Amino acid sequence: MKCFSRYLPYIFRPPNTILSCSCHTEADIISTVEFNHTGELLATGDKGGRVVIFQREQESKNQPHRRGEYNVYSTFQSHEPEFDYLKSLEIEEKINKIRWLPQQNAAYFLLSTNDKTVKLWKVSERDKRPEGYNLKDEDGRLRDPSMITMLRVPVLRPMDLMVEATPRRVFANAHTYHINSISVNSDYETYMSADDLRINLWNFEITNQSFNIVDIKPANMEELTEVITAAEFHPHHCNTFVYSSSKGTIRLCDMRASALCDRHSKFFEEPEDPSNRSFFSEIISSISDVKFSHSGRYIMTRDYLTVKVWDLNMENRPIETYQVHDYLRSKLCSLYENDCIFDKFECVWNGSDSVIMTGSYNNFFRMFDRNTKRDVTLEASRENSKPRAILKPRKVCVGGKRRKDEISVDSLDFSKKILHTAWHPSENIIAVAATNNLYIFQDKVN
Amino acid sequence: MLVARLRFMLGRGLKRKLSDYEENMAGLSSAFDSSRNLPYSLKRQLVLNMCLTKLQTYKMVVEPNLHRSVLIANTVRQIQEEMRQESSQQPVNVCNGIAPNPLSYPGIDSSGISLHLPSGSNQQESNGCNSWSAEGPIENSLLMVSDDDMSSAISSILKDLDFMEDISPPTSLVPAGDDEPKSPESTCLKLEDDRQDLKGAECVFGSFEISNSTSYLKDLAIDDIFEDIDTSMYDSDFCVPPLMTPRPPSSATEETLKTFPSCNSSSANNIPICRTDLSELDHIMEILVGS
Repeated sequence: MKCFSRYLPYIFRPPNTILSCSCHTEADIISTVEFNHTGELLATGDKGGRVVIFQREQESKNQPHRRGEYNVYSTFQSHEPEFDYLKSLEIEEKINKIRWLPQQNAAYFLLSTNDKTVKLWKVSERDKRPEGYNLKDEDGRLRDPSMITMLRVPVLRPMDLMVEATPRRVFANAHTYHINSISVNSDYETYMSADDLRINLWNFEITNQSFNIVDIKPANMEELTEVITAAEFHPHHCNTFVYSSSKGTIRLCDMRASALCDRHSKFFEEPEDPSNRSFFSEIISSISDVKFSHSGRYIMTRDYLTVKVWDLNMENRPIETYQVHDYLRSKLCSLYENDCIFDKFECVWNGSDSVIMTGSYNNFFRMFDRNTKRDVTLEASRENSKPRAILKPRKVCVGGKRRKDEISVDSLDFSKKILHTAWHPSENIIAVAATNNLYIFQDKVN
Repeated sequence: MLVARLRFMLGRGLKRKLSDYEENMAGLSSAFDSSRNLPYSLKRQLVLNMCLTKLQTYKMVVEPNLHRSVLIANTVRQIQEEMRQESSQQPVNVCNGIAPNPLSYPGIDSSGISLHLPSGSNQQESNGCNSWSAEGPIENSLLMVSDDDMSSAISSILKDLDFMEDISPPTSLVPAGDDEPKSPESTCLKLEDDRQDLKGAECVFGSFEISNSTSYLKDLAIDDIFEDIDTSMYDSDFCVPPLMTPRPPSSATEETLKTFPSCNSSSANNIPICRTDLSELDHIMEILVGS
């Protein structure tokens, strides 16, 4: 068995503990994972509306082999289930996306959203408290003024670290349809939220108004054939953003061109391969995620079976296409029947844009090295994740004889899907969400 | 029945499945995936049936997933377009048969709903299905879905998705009439839709049942139904105009009235509405007066 360090320049190993809830309920299913801009913090959102933030341990000289591991830093309830009385609809509290703001002072800020409402949260630390008040004693009870004989100045004394999260802004009532994406602009003053048919631009300071910048709702809903599936701002150009559609197309828009960006500046679409045509061609071409590279030069899209990398300067086809799990192509009818064909997988770039990663079924996730064209399949599971052990590459056997350690397509567990992954912005640390478990894998030291 | 014939077609080797709808569908879809010998038209019909079933399931949910509904609707349209093109190339017309009752899928006990095909369409089916008869017994037993059925099915799904009152931001113009909340009467009975092909339109999504029941009502004497209602108040020549917003004279009202051929009052259109309104008004008056 080849060690996959030959394929990729690093090896991943799991940390000492796998971060997960002891009891697995529906509410514990992780629905989004995101590192902050320095990688010091990792946020997860779940179906129960909770956000859990992990912080990386500072590296200590005492234990050099134990490179910074992630521990729970803060937990808070971001969204609650709501009931829309006007439409008789329940609004799920599931966190669809979390996006961090860049750090500008001692506090951390993040945006979290469910189907309808975006919230700005401030996460701050308190490790000192004032002591020695004149008018009240340490318990907080008021002192009898006649008993006070001398004056003292309160001093700040250290206390146990307390991390508190407070909602600073609530951006509500702007979306009729379900929000699928949020993206912070590079100007750090605005952000956008996208639902199935519309994209709105917000200013962080203004919660009762937003600008509608994209609207693809037809006058007659019967003519609707396409919905927005994901959207993102360009990492450097604050006037540029992209959005993907259910028809497998990506539109790049420039907000300087007009207030309503219904007309795109660039339109990315690959012509269909006639040899792969099936009844499900359109469904599997629906893009589930779109991400700009850190350089801003490329965009990556994920559809059901592939990951594609596009050059912003070339609209007629992607420059790279990677097969994630092509062995599912012959199973599309079954996957359509059990609705797995509608699963929305995300994709991520590594810090240097040289490797891309995305999830699959059976708790597998895949990495593709764009330079060497090598790829690897890894599994996020407790059995394979002994501490200090190296992750073993996995292989799916398509037909014919199954070798040892290979798994056949029919044995794949389609209920174990990895939809959400994240890559540290500068180091080789990845976070993989497998249902209710969060796995963090780090690069092997030396 | 369908599964039995499918097994016949595929030969031995297909595992025996329980007569459970979901397992049968899973069996069919895995047969679709694994067998290369399934004729294209059969595969297409399987996919179409799955799509329509899903759309029907979504209709029963309060807030169907828009993304999925659009993808499935597009697939149905694509298949419909294909079938239309094929039929335009064929010398005989494609069957304009009765849409399948979704509950009559293989494995489902359809004792609750019996599929009575009016005699006229049987003729059509036998005349028009020449192009399919060569395929084998399955195509004849599979009920064909007409173009209009599918278009109206898709239209109804997408219209329902638009029932939500749209909260548009001030900067964008909302086209007039776009965002009216769906009126209660049009949500339920599909009879009130203004579709041209009444016969086929409602059939796809289970209101076939309703057509059956109206014919049942025809057999009863109208007076028997209403004999215990005190109609002394209404036996006057003066007919109170309807107190609710008058419904537009639509085929719906006429259809409803067909089942009550012997109405007592002279103003046949308004009587069913009048009676309800007056009794409601009475009731309200009683509450207000406190008697």
